[in-house]
Order: sequence, then structure tokens, then C-alpha cells
Amino acid sequence: MTAALEIRDLRKRYADVQALDGVSLTVPEGSFFGLLGPNGAGKTTFINILVGLVRKSGGEARVFGYDVEDDYQEARDRIGLAPQEFNVDRFFPIKEVLEHKAGYHGIPADEARERADEVLKQVGIYDKRDTRFDWLSGGMKRRFMLARALITDPDLLILDEPTAGVDVQLRRDLWDLIIDLNEAGTTILLTTHYIEEAERLCDEVAILDSGNVVTVASPEELIDRGADRIVVQLQDAPAGTPDLPFEDDRVDAVELDGNRLVVTARRGGLVAPDLVRALDRAGHGIVDLEISRTSLEEVFVELTRTEDGAAVDEPAPALAANGEGGRR
Amino acid sequence: MSVASKLLPVGFYTLAKREILRYVRRPKNTFVPPLITNVLYFSVFGVVLGTRVGEIAGVPYILFILPGLVVLGAISNAFENASFSIFHGRWNEYIHETLTSPLSYAQMVWAYVASSAIRGIAVGVLISVIGAIFTTVGVERPFYLVAFMLVITVLFAGLGVLGGLWAEDFDDLTMMNQFILRPLVFFGGVFYSLDDLNSELFYTVSLFNPMIYMVNGVRYGFIGTAEVDPNASLVVLTVLAAAVAALDVALFRRGYGLTE
Ligand SMILES: Nc1ncnc2c1ncn2[C@@H]1O[C@H](COP(=O)(O)OP(=O)(O)O)[C@@H](O)[C@H]1O
Ligand SMILES: [Mg+2]
Repeated sequence: MTAALEIRDLRKRYADVQALDGVSLTVPEGSFFGLLGPNGAGKTTFINILVGLVRKSGGEARVFGYDVEDDYQEARDRIGLAPQEFNVDRFFPIKEVLEHKAGYHGIPADEARERADEVLKQVGIYDKRDTRFDWLSGGMKRRFMLARALITDPDLLILDEPTAGVDVQLRRDLWDLIIDLNEAGTTILLTTHYIEEAERLCDEVAILDSGNVVTVASPEELIDRGADRIVVQLQDAPAGTPDLPFEDDRVDAVELDGNRLVVTARRGGLVAPDLVRALDRAGHGIVDLEISRTSLEEVFVELTRTEDGAAVDEPAPALAANGEGGRR
Repeated sequence: MSVASKLLPVGFYTLAKREILRYVRRPKNTFVPPLITNVLYFSVFGVVLGTRVGEIAGVPYILFILPGLVVLGAISNAFENASFSIFHGRWNEYIHETLTSPLSYAQMVWAYVASSAIRGIAVGVLISVIGAIFTTVGVERPFYLVAFMLVITVLFAGLGVLGGLWAEDFDDLTMMNQFILRPLVFFGGVFYSLDDLNSELFYTVSLFNPMIYMVNGVRYGFIGTAEVDPNASLVVLTVLAAAVAALDVALFRRGYGLTE
């Protein structure tokens, strides 16, 4: 089976920025793949190379086996993109915009009309079909971006920060919709800086930082790589830190604060039983035990920490401002 | 359109249709201005001035300027349409809808060129009809009239694509129209005959203005007399139009003005 995306050593240099610095990735067909990274990591650049809006400086990118430059028509025909910024034809009502997009992909007019109705209903803005994009509310604009990506029934649906700056209700709606699509066989590539989103939706995530892939793993694997905290309340405060004979290197640190013992360990769920046994054997009575797992967010922040040690963060409304401001 | 929709590839047809609907649905911005301007031209130059000028190149002045006004209207509208559509699409980034589609670069370019040329021809027809209200005009050489109209509108639509790719803001579009297109046309023999240029120098310089050949060719189509050989003009203009279109396609492929 050909992979939905096969990326080898992909590079992109803008005038003075190395936006992608040798990215290699494989996105299996049918997967729900997350591209996670702080602002400026190169996510949008990566996507735009696939659809032909950015010219790569080096490397190779294939969409279902088709080279994005040599076989650009085949590659583009398989992709539906909901971009980060609004780029919609303002001369026509949204239903016609959809029909045009379908037509560009070779879908005959009558079929295009049916599909337009269908996707407008699917994203819940069928009532607005005769309105022009400019007159839609912010949330409806986001819904429309998804509709336009779906009109051509793509094999690979690419969503570039689809839920940035949208309200909770819409976010849930969009999630439900794309989960259904994925279950029906559509490969999904989602970029986001909302970690919760990736954790909820993706089978696999690549963490991108400054144009480099830091790691590729399932959200669960990533979480397992982070350190969990096991907090044990002991009956009596021990004289000293109990000696815990763990032969493996899962345990990072053991701290004692009165009768409260804090163990920092990878895969805390597996360490805890051993810990309980060891404490029991050493004669310490246990009153309470609590495991708090690391969140994917913490792992992410750890992996994408900038040189000066500050975690990268980004205000959510940035997108809405970019999408609707300025260019008219 | 239904015949065209069956014969042409769906993608190309849809883009051309989109482009045509854009101007057909806003006639106030596209067809009314040339209508008003040309009623004024015919009134002032043809009727008022014409009675003083009398005959030029053997025909009444109003009939002499008609082909020139048709050329002026046709090429400026073809140019304006292509440059505006491409530039506006770049400015608001909705040209991405086309660029991310599986249309070939040649299909993209020809859809823009064809729809813009059609607008140029429509304006040309409109001006001819206005002219026919002011004076009696026939079509002496229909083949040449059609051929020249096709070639010059395609040529200027192709140049408009170049302009639309090159422009960085709306002022650039205005500038191209005011400072390049208009002078070319006004010194291109719309309002005077080459024979009226008393100086040898002016005459020679005028021969380097491509507009001379276009106006001359269209005039040949309408009234059957030409100052320059229409066949040679047609060949040169056809080659030029094909070269410009090929350059457009190459620039689309390279992503000039379109991709980062
Ligand atoms: N058109 C451009 N010209 C110059 N630099 C750019 C351009 N687009 C993006 N960049 C830079 O490339 C880097 C990656 O940007 P981008 O791909 O938009 O990241 P992300 O989508 O992950 O936020 C950033 O440093 C950004 O400033
Ligand atoms: Mg981005």
C-alpha cells in the first residue's frame, strides 16, 4: 500500500529563514496524523509545499505516490485543504464557490451542485448557501473552509489549525465530523498547537520544531516518555528516604517530605505496584496513593523548549486576526 | 455554454466560466464605462470634429476612427480584465482555489486569457454597435476583422496576465493602463492616418508601435483599405500572442508572483 504522504529530507528556505530543515515523514493511508509544533515551526510551509503554494528548496514529497512537482495534477487532485487563513473567492455566493472548486477538480456541474448542498449541510451552513463569504460569522467561515476542503471528496484531508480561535461548541462539531471522515477511510493531516486536540484525535503525531521533526510517535507513547508523579502518603514519617531497590532506570527521583513520598518515574502506572510492594516489605504503612500522569502538553513543552529555556507559547486569537484582518 | 461544457475539460471550462460570470454579473463596472466613453468619443471626435476634418484616407473621419476605437476598447478591456482578475486573486489569496486544483498550468493560463479576450471582443462589438448608430459602417473583410480581433484580444489578455502577476499593488495596475496602454493606442493611428505624419521621423517611429498594425488590420476588416500589409501584420501579431501566452504558462509553472 502506498503511503498517503512520503516525505524525504524536505527543505524550504525563505529569504532569511530556514523554515524546513530536512523533514522526513511517512503518513500511512487512513491514519489520523497530527503535525504539532509551536508557532513558526514550519507547519504551514510543510502543507503549502504539498498543494503547490510554496516551492520546496530541496528534498522530495509524494502524495499517494505522486510527486508534488512532477505529478502536480495527480497530487493536488487527492488533497482537500482547509488552510489556516481565509482565502475564499469574494465575488460569488458560497455555494457557487464550492461548485467552482469542484469543477476545477473535474467534477461535472450537476454532480458539483449536489455535492455542494451535501457538504454545506454536513458542516451546518446550508441556510447560508446564497451568502457571500464576507458576510458569514467567524465560526461559519471556519465551517465553510472545511466544506470547501470536502467538496472534492479528497483522499487526504489537510486541516491547518482548523480550530484555532473557535468556540468550544464548534470545536466539538468539527472534531466529530473529522473523526467520522477518518473512520470512513479519509486520511487526515491535522496541524495544531492545541495539544488536547492532538491527544484526542490523532493516531500518530510528529512534533515539529524550527523546521525539524523532533519525534514521531503516538500520543500514548509520548505520554509514556514523560515523567509521572506518584505521591504516597505514609502512616508514619520515616527517618530517611526509604531505599527502593528498582533495578531499572524508570525512576528519576525520590523525595521525602514528612510522611509524604514523591516518586518521579516514567510509566508511573507500572512503577506504582513495585513501589507499593517495596514500601510494604520495608514496613511502611500506606495511607493513600495517587498517580498523576504527565500530560502530552508537558511532553510537548519539554521537546520544543527554546534555547533560553522558556517554553514556546502562542496566543490563540492570532489566527482570527490574520484570517480576517488586512487583506481585502 | 452547454456545447462548450461538453467539448472542453471540466476544470478549464469551470475556471473560464467563473471568470466570465465575474464580469457579466457586474456590468456597471465592466460594460457601462466603455459604453459611455465611446458615445462621448463618437459624439466629440466623430460628429463635432469630423465635420471639420472631412475625409481621411478616403473615408469620413467618423468611419476612420471607428476601428481604432474598437481596438482601443477591446485591448484595454482584455488587458484590464486579466490583470485585475489575477492581481485581485493574489491580493485576497483566493487564486489559491485555482492554484491548489489539478488544472494544468496551461489550462489555468488559457482560462484567464480566453475569458479576458471574450470580454475584449464583447466590448469591441459594443463599440461597433454604438458606431453604427452614428454612421453607416459595413464589414468589408469579415475574415480579417475576426482574425485581428481574436489575435489582439488574446495578445492583450496574455499581457494582462503578465501585468497581474507582476503588480505589487493596485496602483501598479492603474499605472500600466495609463502610462503604457493609452499612449501606445493614442500614437497608434487611432485618430490620424500615417500619411498625415509630415515628418519622416514620426512616420518611422510609428512603425515600431505594434498598435499601428492592430488598428490597421481591424480597419482593413471594417472598410477594406489598409496602410500596411494586413497579412504580414496578422502573422507577426499571432506569433507575438503565442509567445506571450507561452511566457504566461512558464511563469505560472515557476510560480512567479504566485508562490513563495
Ligand atoms: N512567505 C514567507 N516569507 C518569509 N518567511 C516566511 C514566509 N512564510 C513563513 N515564513 C517563516 O517560516 C517559518 C515557518 O513558518 P510557518 O510555516 O508559517 O510556521 P507554522 O505554520 O508552524 O506557524 C517562520 O519563521 C515564518 O516566519
Ligand atoms: Mg501555520
